[in-house]
Amino acid sequence: MSTRSAGRQVAIVGYAHSRIERRSDRPLGAITVDTARDAITDAGLTVADIDGFVSDPRLPSVGGHEVVDGVSVVTSPWLAQTLGADARLAAGHVGYSPITSSVIVAANALASGACDYVLLHRSLHNPAGRYHAATSPDVGGEAQWTVPHGMVGPPVGIALPYNEYILRYGATREALAEVVVEGRRNGARLPWSYWHGKPLTVEHYLSARMISDPISLYDCDIPVDGVAAFVLTTTDRAADLPHRPVVVDGYAKGMPVAHRPQGLLVLDDMMEAGFTLVNRLWEQSQTGITRDDIDVPQLYDGFAPLIYVWLEALGYCGVGEAHEFVRDGRISAETGLPILSGGGAIGNGRMHGVPQMLECYLQLSGRAGERQLDRAEVGLACHGLPLYGGAVLYRAG
Amino acid sequence: MSSAPIRLSPDTGSSGYWDAARRNELALPVCDECGNLTLPPAPVCPNCGTTAPRWRFTPVSGRGTVRSWTLVRNSFHPAFDHLVPYLVADVELDAQPGLRVVGRLLDEGAEPPRLGDRVQTSFQELADGLTVPGFVREHT
Ligand SMILES: [Zn+2]
Repeated sequence: MSTRSAGRQVAIVGYAHSRIERRSDRPLGAITVDTARDAITDAGLTVADIDGFVSDPRLPSVGGHEVVDGVSVVTSPWLAQTLGADARLAAGHVGYSPITSSVIVAANALASGACDYVLLHRSLHNPAGRYHAATSPDVGGEAQWTVPHGMVGPPVGIALPYNEYILRYGATREALAEVVVEGRRNGARLPWSYWHGKPLTVEHYLSARMISDPISLYDCDIPVDGVAAFVLTTTDRAADLPHRPVVVDGYAKGMPVAHRPQGLLVLDDMMEAGFTLVNRLWEQSQTGITRDDIDVPQLYDGFAPLIYVWLEALGYCGVGEAHEFVRDGRISAETGLPILSGGGAIGNGRMHGVPQMLECYLQLSGRAGERQLDRAEVGLACHGLPLYGGAVLYRAG
Repeated sequence: MSSAPIRLSPDTGSSGYWDAARRNELALPVCDECGNLTLPPAPVCPNCGTTAPRWRFTPVSGRGTVRSWTLVRNSFHPAFDHLVPYLVADVELDAQPGLRVVGRLLDEGAEPPRLGDRVQTSFQELADGLTVPGFVREHT
């Protein structure tokens, strides 16, 4: 047994998810309050029970859009106050891999006794206008090292390490098409998804326009308005609640490995950070979970090529082999390794790590309905890039 | 020459780079304590940890090796609206192993480079008073 299980055990005990829309006609705060109330009800609780609120409110755009609490972002203090909760803790972590950080804060607040019931939410907004386009000609600070060189925005940023992968290992667009098509196939089955009922064919993927070669349109998750909320508590309290609890078994965060111009992603940096993160994850499992124990591995796909990095960092295949691994049905939710069974970001919309956490929760609590996997005792939710990102292990309670 | 709408606000951590570029020179910040090149300069030297790196912009070789590239088709900044599609290269500079920078490939009608192609720094005036280092392929 690991020595990492100090404090009380913590579990997810309920959730709610709004409909994911390209642009909602309602303010984000209104959707968030509805979703939070639904999640609290789902957990068999009332607002009066919730004494902790955790979120990352970041609007992940580089376009300089206005940030207004309750409208374009929703912070935990705003939500606690608006719900009329008697909160002892309203914490926000702003940065990379928001979901991992939120789970870490929530789990430790509960394990230490700082709170009894935590509402963890993530609200994502798609602002009017172009998502990443600069709204001002001014360039200063860190952006001086990239923007004047024509490197503007995340799609250009991710195109460089993806092309480095292609140039080294001979990956093809046809291989990545299988990843995106699998994500969209599973997303099409989710009633809340933006892509509900809209699977994608390989032909359609291949004919889509290029954004920043080799990144094409459907390699990028689509910006949306959407909200998810989860309720967490200690496992002793969870025993009295209606749903099967899903226990937080361990987590690890990725760390930067080299000092670079902001947004310059280097493939070797990502792999180095990924191996470190994965080793730390196994070390920090409360029950000694490692890769081969995982039934529901949910890999992060905010940009589709990140699937390759996660597959290789986790050791599902060798370095440079993921583009072959993903082919011929080997990542099928029904017959292969179900890395995108929850649709991922590609199959839901830009929900920033929510799909991976939600699929772990739904499968491990036995609430995935017709999509329920035969065996779902241990889950892994990966969030963001291994560099800066994170991962959380879950086990059925 | 372009009158592209980009306004740069250099600071003490970058003016040495932009001043040199105007003279068609590539100058990078070197740590006074350990002599390591770092981009961007930081309050604490990432190599030796000194809190007084006293970054000095020093001329370096603009030659390097292509590690990756992308063909940018969507302009996300008005300065590039008239330039798309354009190639951006990720280049490891000869000046120091592992030192990576990005720059536009300025060769006219350039084909995408291959992994390991050799390049050298070249300069282009992106807006009035703003000269930006980029790269051209070396002819072997
Ligand atoms: Zn130094």
